[in-house]
Amino acid sequence: MNPTASTDWNALDNGSFRAAVREFFETRYPGELRYPKKRLRWAEIGHWYLTLSKKGWVAPSWPTRYGGMGLSPEKIIIFIEEQERWGVARAPDMGITMVGPLLIHHGSDAQRAHYLPKIIAGEHIWCQGYSEPNSGSDLASLRTEAVADGDDFIVNGQKIWTTLAQDATHIFLLVRTDKSAKKQEGISFLLADMKTPGITVRPIRNIAGNEDFCEVFLENVRVPRANIVGELNKGWTIAKALLGFERIFLGSPKQSQYALARVQEAAQRLGLFEDSGFVDRYTKLALDVADLGALYGRFIEQVKRGELLGPDVSMLKLFATETYSRLADLLVDVMGASGALPGDIAMPGGKTDALTTFYNARPATIYGGSNEVQRNILAASVLKLPS
Amino acid sequence: MTATPDSDRAEQLTMLRESALSFATKESPLHRARALRRQTPGFDRRFWSALAEQGWTGLLAPETLGGYEQGFAEMAEVAAALAAQVAPEPVVPVVVFAGRLLAHAGGTELSARLLGELAEGRTLPAVAWQEDVTGAKDRLDQAATRLERQADALLLNGGKRHVRAGAGADGYIVSASGPQGLALVWVPAGTAGLTVSSQPLADGSYAAQLDLNHVRLPASHLLAQGPTAVAALTRAYDETLVMTSVELLALVRSMLAMTQDYLRTRVQFGKPIGSFQSLQHRAVDLLIQQELTASVVAQAVALLDAPDGGASARSALASRVKSRASDAGLQVAREAVQLHGAIGVTDEYDLGLYLQRALVLAAWLGNGTQQRRRYADLTRHATEQEHA
Repeated sequence: MNPTASTDWNALDNGSFRAAVREFFETRYPGELRYPKKRLRWAEIGHWYLTLSKKGWVAPSWPTRYGGMGLSPEKIIIFIEEQERWGVARAPDMGITMVGPLLIHHGSDAQRAHYLPKIIAGEHIWCQGYSEPNSGSDLASLRTEAVADGDDFIVNGQKIWTTLAQDATHIFLLVRTDKSAKKQEGISFLLADMKTPGITVRPIRNIAGNEDFCEVFLENVRVPRANIVGELNKGWTIAKALLGFERIFLGSPKQSQYALARVQEAAQRLGLFEDSGFVDRYTKLALDVADLGALYGRFIEQVKRGELLGPDVSMLKLFATETYSRLADLLVDVMGASGALPGDIAMPGGKTDALTTFYNARPATIYGGSNEVQRNILAASVLKLPS
Repeated sequence: MTATPDSDRAEQLTMLRESALSFATKESPLHRARALRRQTPGFDRRFWSALAEQGWTGLLAPETLGGYEQGFAEMAEVAAALAAQVAPEPVVPVVVFAGRLLAHAGGTELSARLLGELAEGRTLPAVAWQEDVTGAKDRLDQAATRLERQADALLLNGGKRHVRAGAGADGYIVSASGPQGLALVWVPAGTAGLTVSSQPLADGSYAAQLDLNHVRLPASHLLAQGPTAVAALTRAYDETLVMTSVELLALVRSMLAMTQDYLRTRVQFGKPIGSFQSLQHRAVDLLIQQELTASVVAQAVALLDAPDGGASARSALASRVKSRASDAGLQVAREAVQLHGAIGVTDEYDLGLYLQRALVLAAWLGNGTQQRRRYADLTRHATEQEHA
């Protein structure tokens, strides 16, 4: 047992806790990995995961009895703020953010005892098998099927947009276990080892040239029945319950603040702050970013008070990602003829990368529930418009 | 402000909100606002007295002058409740802009007397500082209107525009360039050489244009000059931007609520039109603007009430919130009309009252674009330092 894992971090006042986290990130996080331009692979960021693991800090939100830090929501927010501030990249963290909470709340004792320590230790790297080629926004229509066969299930189907599946040792799947039930009601949660025969991974190259996500093919994959999490056919309910307050971080202003700083940097080099047309456009976006911060702050206060987030949190994701996207557009636009150059563009005063932000902005408005789906949710749940 | 624990204040704010809303809906139904349109002076002086009886004209004024010495959070509740009913009385122009200017410029016997009378609802002063047709060239620290000293008298020459409360005001706090820099001078209505003309505004209320032609006043009418005058005008202006944003937010909430009701009940093609996705998504964009505005308004009101809010932070935040609220007000107004269809452009339908008030408040004291320019100027120095 790591001694620091049993420290009561919540007993520290917020200032001391923030200082401790900041000091650790600043001294231990590799400088060359700050604000990475792309999603880092396990080979690049895995050692940071292990560093956090050794420190006892890899699972801030898990209870201490499972090797987490047991932080309060307020302290988790500080932890994330410090990560964002220092440009600390996400290590493949599906095990921490999804599988841990899933097993802690819905798993069996045997599942917890088997999997949780291995996630903490970095032995198991998880990926999320939700989306399918014909089930994106309409996820509940998923068709990957698990058919009982003695003590096993036989799984057939295909998953897609599985982030970093090529680095994962395990996958958690939503599978259909009852074809006769209504679409949400015949779905179960199933855990599988990626080495199981019949699982094939094919990385998908995106328009930025990176292989961030994959297709996962499942062909007669035999998975023990004991790998079902929670009740059979209750997977959809569990998946929805897993949407905790961490959704708020999809709406963090940090990404936009970072993009705004890149626009500002490029504009300084190009002398654009002498151009009142540019200043008008820039200031409008700067205020969008500032006001996003005010909206974000309101939801953060709600989390700190220990209140559950309502469906209205969707508006944060919408405005955050769309502001980010407008900033990305502005950056490409001010670069003019160089706006089509991939990677770093040398100019007087330094280098500017126009297209990375542009490419990053594209999936931002799609993942985590596309912005159109988020608007549907807000229209129904907040504005109470009819269907 | 007397120090009260947060929970007590929150409770008092809730009570004030409820009483302001109940007063406003009962005493100021929309047909009252409708009937006062284009009837000079554009508001009802008896209703102003009723506001004074509620204690609302003296909400911000010091207790020593007969006021209640409350904060901007309290003032915001009253301003929002009245704005939601499109009440035409110039509460923000008089109680906030003129009242705060008198308080900040303070020190003279006259300013104390005026503020006391304002708090009691007996005198309606208005601030006359703008001169430019679009307002883009107006500056808080200078004026083209000239002040000369002649023995013991003050002599004013010049012209002012965009003076809200209009011809219904009992007098004007006029900014002018004098021997000591910017000066603020009290010019009672009816002073010889002062011509007040009424300029109708989109919502049926009026702004005044002042022509000051050899206006002669006793020296006691000089309220402040030099850096004191500039600081007082800047601070009152910033506080007024925030309270105008509070009013715009109230308009946004009303217009979005009307639109939501309409989308739920209007049936076309055999269904409520609110079931159509393209309309739903447009309505959600208005919700986002409403909530953004609400978040920044809350931040700005809190800063005004904070004991340690610095002047430059206050100015930047005031311009930021007025920019957001002005643009949100106009965007929601336009979209609300579109989502209603033809009924939205009729004078008979109440949405027009809100749209026209939104036009007036968005334009007053600098619209979204103008406030962004001020914000850019105010923050540019900080930005350059940060970058260096």
